[in-house]
Amino acid sequence: MSAYLDTRVSLYASRLWPDAAFDALAQAPDEAIAGTLAARGVPQLVAGYDTPERATEARSLEQRIIGQILEETQVLIRPLSGEARAFLAFWTARFELSNVKTLLRSKMGGERPAAALARLTPMGAFGRLDLQDLAHAEDVGELLRRLEAGPYAAIVHHARRAFEQNPDPFVLDAALDHGYYEGLTQRARPLEEGAGSALRGLMAQLVDRINLVWLLRYRFNYSLPPAQVYYLLIGSRYTLASARLRELAALDSLEAVLDALPAPWHARLAGAPNIPAVFARMEHAAAQQALSVLRSRAPALARAFAYLSLRERDLRAVRAVLRGRHLGLGQADIRLALQRGALEAI
Amino acid sequence: MLRAEPLLRIQLVTLASEAQDAALALAQFGVFSPAPVALDALAEAPAMAYREVWLEAEARLAKLLEQCGDTGPLHVPEDAEAPTLADLEALNLWLKSVWNACLECHETATRVEERRQHLAALEDTLAKLEHLNVDLAPLLRADSLLAVRIGSTAAGNFKRLTEALAMTGYLASRFDTVGDQVFAVIAGPRAREEEVNGLLAQAGWHELPVPDELRTHPQAARAWLDAERAQLATQDGASCRMLDGLRARFGPRLNEARLSLALARPLAEAAAVGVRGRGGLAAFSGWIPRRQLADLRSVLEAHFHGRYWLEAREPSREEIADVPSLVRYPGWLKPFVPLVKSYGIPRYGEFDPALPFAVTYLLLFGAMFGDVGHGAVILLLSAALLRRLGRMAWIGVAAGAVSMGFGVLYGSFFGYEDLIEPLWLSPLQDPIRVLTIAIGFGVGFIVFTLLVSTRNKLVAGQVGEALFDATGLAGLVFYLGAVGSLASLAGAADIATPSGFAAALGLTVIAAYKWIEAKAGLGERILVTAIETLETGINLFANTLSFMRVAAFSLNHVALALAVFTLAAGLGTAGHGLTIALGNVVIIMLEGGIVAIQALRLMYYEGFSRFFSADGKAFVPLRLMPQGSEA
Repeated sequence: MSAYLDTRVSLYASRLWPDAAFDALAQAPDEAIAGTLAARGVPQLVAGYDTPERATEARSLEQRIIGQILEETQVLIRPLSGEARAFLAFWTARFELSNVKTLLRSKMGGERPAAALARLTPMGAFGRLDLQDLAHAEDVGELLRRLEAGPYAAIVHHARRAFEQNPDPFVLDAALDHGYYEGLTQRARPLEEGAGSALRGLMAQLVDRINLVWLLRYRFNYSLPPAQVYYLLIGSRYTLASARLRELAALDSLEAVLDALPAPWHARLAGAPNIPAVFARMEHAAAQQALSVLRSRAPALARAFAYLSLRERDLRAVRAVLRGRHLGLGQADIRLALQRGALEAI
Repeated sequence: MLRAEPLLRIQLVTLASEAQDAALALAQFGVFSPAPVALDALAEAPAMAYREVWLEAEARLAKLLEQCGDTGPLHVPEDAEAPTLADLEALNLWLKSVWNACLECHETATRVEERRQHLAALEDTLAKLEHLNVDLAPLLRADSLLAVRIGSTAAGNFKRLTEALAMTGYLASRFDTVGDQVFAVIAGPRAREEEVNGLLAQAGWHELPVPDELRTHPQAARAWLDAERAQLATQDGASCRMLDGLRARFGPRLNEARLSLALARPLAEAAAVGVRGRGGLAAFSGWIPRRQLADLRSVLEAHFHGRYWLEAREPSREEIADVPSLVRYPGWLKPFVPLVKSYGIPRYGEFDPALPFAVTYLLLFGAMFGDVGHGAVILLLSAALLRRLGRMAWIGVAAGAVSMGFGVLYGSFFGYEDLIEPLWLSPLQDPIRVLTIAIGFGVGFIVFTLLVSTRNKLVAGQVGEALFDATGLAGLVFYLGAVGSLASLAGAADIATPSGFAAALGLTVIAAYKWIEAKAGLGERILVTAIETLETGINLFANTLSFMRVAAFSLNHVALALAVFTLAAGLGTAGHGLTIALGNVVIIMLEGGIVAIQALRLMYYEGFSRFFSADGKAFVPLRLMPQGSEA
């Protein structure tokens, strides 16, 4: 199992995009886009840029990117079983929860089911919900009850109760996100104990990044009170543990929060002017760590998770470049939009 | 029966206002399989709105029928007309209003249930507070500086909620847990209550309203709880009556809605494949059996009196891969069709293997499991389970009968080889002869599959493959030559020279064809040609030897029976009888099952894989009802 997965991950690792490849994509003439994408191992995206097929490709760029990630995850989980398989499968569940959020917003807006269904991402073998059935729920309440009878009951149950107390879309979205990441950390916990520090390091980067960005956003963009901000964060046992998060939530400016971070974090984030910049720096750090795990002799599961994280980051950057081209942005603007620093494995 | 029915591609253009009736007519015609319209001039999709409304209405009707129960069988009148888009929208709105009424009943029932649970929790609370001897009145005073609340939240969130509350100077104390809910008292400075409200809402905090009655004397509180319960019982009854009322009120109209939606289904389903249009026109495209073109014209003429345009043509070579396969099977062959379809659907124009499959499968099963008694048991069991197993039971009946037939040939009855005289011979008497016959059968079977494969390739226009490839004519020549050479070597025939020549010729042609087809560098080309040519020979040889299992299992059957008799011989009368009976049960269950699987394996891997591409498309006609349901 391990040998197969290790080999698979190593083969897939060659598909990761060096920074120069994004410049090449941004500069390539229109007719060379399909060739460039094919050469860099993203066949699902080629279909949209291959002229004869463009007319028949109904999926959006975002949907095709997710399709590509799901396809690779499907290959990677093939030799896995038990908790490891459940963990990587759950990693894809955030795309399905994104479908759920689309359906919920469509119900709130009184949209027709067909319009909502057209925007959903096909989940393929990872799909656990009957989206047709859910799309035809009459309102948010009925949709949540149907979801509560399905595989995401644990996530939705709490979100429904919160939504009943306060029918605010933010409350619902925040509760779903919170429930999902709590579920992910629960699934990671037994694997972290078995798979050594590599997976724990990756999870720590992920959870700490999400917690810090949520904290800053809820506290300073949405002006929520500290107690509510703290409640919305993921229960963490990594660098930013619960006690530290409580202290940070009580501070009243971005600078104060960044100053109060542990030393390595402070050095990394000092001077970040806004929340997107904080996110970009932390994501860069996470990518460096993932690259280091990918190139190490870490357990196969940790390497697979590292690869999937890096691959998703790359494909998001590809999307940014393609959108930039579509909007007619210049090279410099596209590069700026990427907010992507060069990676050096640590 | 041996190949798919010849089909014609039709394009039907009607008035857009009559598209739903045209689709209905096509569905009632019964053999129209829709396909995407290829007319570039028709850029609009006029039926998509119809489909969207239909899907919504259908979903609402399904939910209503689930709530109100089925309203009986649906009868579709001959002269029924499909609803227009406006009719369908009106019906959809009506279904929405009925469903909302239903939903309200359902919501009421849910609320009543939740209230009941809360009352039960409140009673527990009361019991606990009684024991604590706490006077709730001063605690819950609205003008107190201390804000106190009693309520419940999810157990998994309680720790985090407690920590968050502590940030606002509040304390939380759990006093009970029911299921996944924690019941708690929270208390803190009233000045920061506003801050806490948002947090509690986010945490899904469910306030337990503590009435004045509960804040005074315990007996008064109990009386209040009883009164609340009685009121809940009334509400519950009212919601049930409301639901029953809905059934009585809407039942007949729901049946009409079912009929309307069934009549609308054809256009909605056709729209999913592709109904195109422009201006006042709508176009359908799809496949119908060639021999029913005149019938279709009559149907359309009767409905539209010339207000349509119909074009029919033979499928072009480029679209052959998209043509669905429509094969009509006689009733006796139908039980075997699912076994063939589980491997795949034959392509349009391909030889359909259902008939040879049925014959060969039964022959192989009988040959491997020939026993009059065991066959009779299988036959009788299958007949007894006819109602439960449905059509598939006939396979068991036929297999049992053939097994009995071979039992007569082998002279075997429940493993006894001396009760009846064999019409031919018992396999153990001359195993070599049985093995030779099994291989002979295998040679015949493989020759048959190669002939079918050649024919399929010719029909598909793959002339090169049909003539020169390993599964074509060249493969057949090589195989017959190789068999002749081996037979001559074994002394069974004297055709060594012509056979050797045929085998060499076949192999050379195959190698040359592989060489031409391999698109690679010189080294890789040599490697591919050598390996694939060698593989041809090895595969055919292995496939032929695979049929030795037919003889092996017929020998195995006798040997198993002998083992049972040997075991029984060492026991007393009762033990002897019991061992014989149990042994026969094991033989029927275990060996019978293995033989059934082995026969299927031989058919799939030595037969189908050689000539059956199994990637055809099923002919799915437009219907009034979904597949599997009955009108």
